[in-house]
Amino acid sequence: MKKYLNIYKVTLINELQYISDIILGFLSFVVMIFIFLNLWNYMYDDPSSLIEGFSKSQMIWYVIITEMIWFGTRNKTLINQITDDIKSGSIAYTLNKPYSYAIYVIVKNFGEITIKFLFYLILAIAVGLIFVGPIDFNMSNILMLIPVFLLSFIINACIRIIISMLSFYVEDAAPFHWLYDKIILVIGTVFPIELFPKFLQPILKFTPIYVVNYGPSKLVIDFSMNSFFTILMAQILYLIFVIILLSLIYRKGVKKLNVNGD
Amino acid sequence: MLMEIKKELKFMLLNVKYNLAREMTNKITFLTNIIFMILNNASFIVEWIIFYSLKNNIGGYNFKDIILLWAIASGTYAICYIFFGAIQDLPKLIMDGKIDSFLVQPKNVLISILSSKTKVSALGDLIYGYVLIFIYGINIKNIILFTLFIITGGIVIASIAVIFSSLAFYITKADTITSSITSTMLNFDTYPDGIFKGIIKILFYTILPIGFSSYIPLHIIKSFNIVNFLIVIGYTILVVLIAFYIFYRGLKRYSSGNLMSARI
Repeated sequence: MKKYLNIYKVTLINELQYISDIILGFLSFVVMIFIFLNLWNYMYDDPSSLIEGFSKSQMIWYVIITEMIWFGTRNKTLINQITDDIKSGSIAYTLNKPYSYAIYVIVKNFGEITIKFLFYLILAIAVGLIFVGPIDFNMSNILMLIPVFLLSFIINACIRIIISMLSFYVEDAAPFHWLYDKIILVIGTVFPIELFPKFLQPILKFTPIYVVNYGPSKLVIDFSMNSFFTILMAQILYLIFVIILLSLIYRKGVKKLNVNGD
Repeated sequence: MLMEIKKELKFMLLNVKYNLAREMTNKITFLTNIIFMILNNASFIVEWIIFYSLKNNIGGYNFKDIILLWAIASGTYAICYIFFGAIQDLPKLIMDGKIDSFLVQPKNVLISILSSKTKVSALGDLIYGYVLIFIYGINIKNIILFTLFIITGGIVIASIAVIFSSLAFYITKADTITSSITSTMLNFDTYPDGIFKGIIKILFYTILPIGFSSYIPLHIIKSFNIVNFLIVIGYTILVVLIAFYIFYRGLKRYSSGNLMSARI
């Protein structure tokens, strides 16, 4: 466990050098929020009306939170590094190391996104308060939101690693990442599941959208103990499922690995 | 002058042809990139179906107009990254001093760099754009105008990216600035301009010129207007000239990274 903590610490310290890159990336986040702010302002003719039970400020805060998760946790390590390690064969060097490659990547990812996420969290709160105003939020809920957000990040990282490990089978896993991106970004960040047609809603609850985006964001804008336990339970089950899938793909994939000596 | 432009265009097309031939060596990856890009773009339809289930008219656009907007956006992006695919690498090449091999070629340096790479997935964008224009309404006028406007739009996006990339001759972080500007343009131009108000509309016709690459072309395809048509053509020529001027001015400050490499 200590070795993983050290990997986390080293990566975190290393990331402190790239704070200016994080700040320059704020532009895209602010642009997306600005677009949806305008769009939802247009969609709500009457600011006091409700769409599927959501007020205008709840809807915009939902987008702010989902976009914050998207921008704050997006990391090239999960997308490019694993694919490059597999394609170049350098993943072979990790096979005889005293750590699990998958856990190493997850810990490294957390080291890389910690500062970035905290910056986006501050920016998201600032943007929300300035452009939308405060929403009904009980500060004591923060303790319950922390595990939900952490599980969301871990599940997302595991799914990314699974997709990247498809490089064991196809040369380029990037197209599969695009599809996952769009599922999360288009279907998951723009509006809550309640806005989808009734017949689609139960299906969407089995997709990563529910545990990665919708769950944490919904709890921020409309918290209830009932939805907290439902979302937490879904996340735990999803995590078990992705861990089993990840270990299966990794074990099978490593056997297919061909390394050319250099 | 015209002969020179013709020669450079021929050279650019040859570059694209060889780029594609190189990418096609792995046919499965080549096809996967194209097919998944089409599916990737199609996912946005879901978003708009839901928005239009809430309201029939969004920012003056009906659902058919959104189809046309998406056709133009994906088409312009496709032209930009098929013919000028190395645009995303330009700031890094300048910063790392890696454009030596282009400087010694007896061809235009900027065109040589930009056309040295083709993004295969952009072919998926191009196919998607034409599929959408067929859905929007197929007739000779629409096809000709659409083809012309995705070319002018692609050139406008590439030129703006060159202008911002040229900052790399003077400052670091130009790569982050350029990618932020191009992704911002891409994010805006898939939403109706009618939902935006005030100062942001000025940006659409200045530093984020998606007004010229997407919005005016959309209105021309819907209802032809010769003045707007000439404005789009004139603006495209102007922005190309500015991009060349700024790039070559910056090039005087270029210093090599002294990296020995061969372009194969």
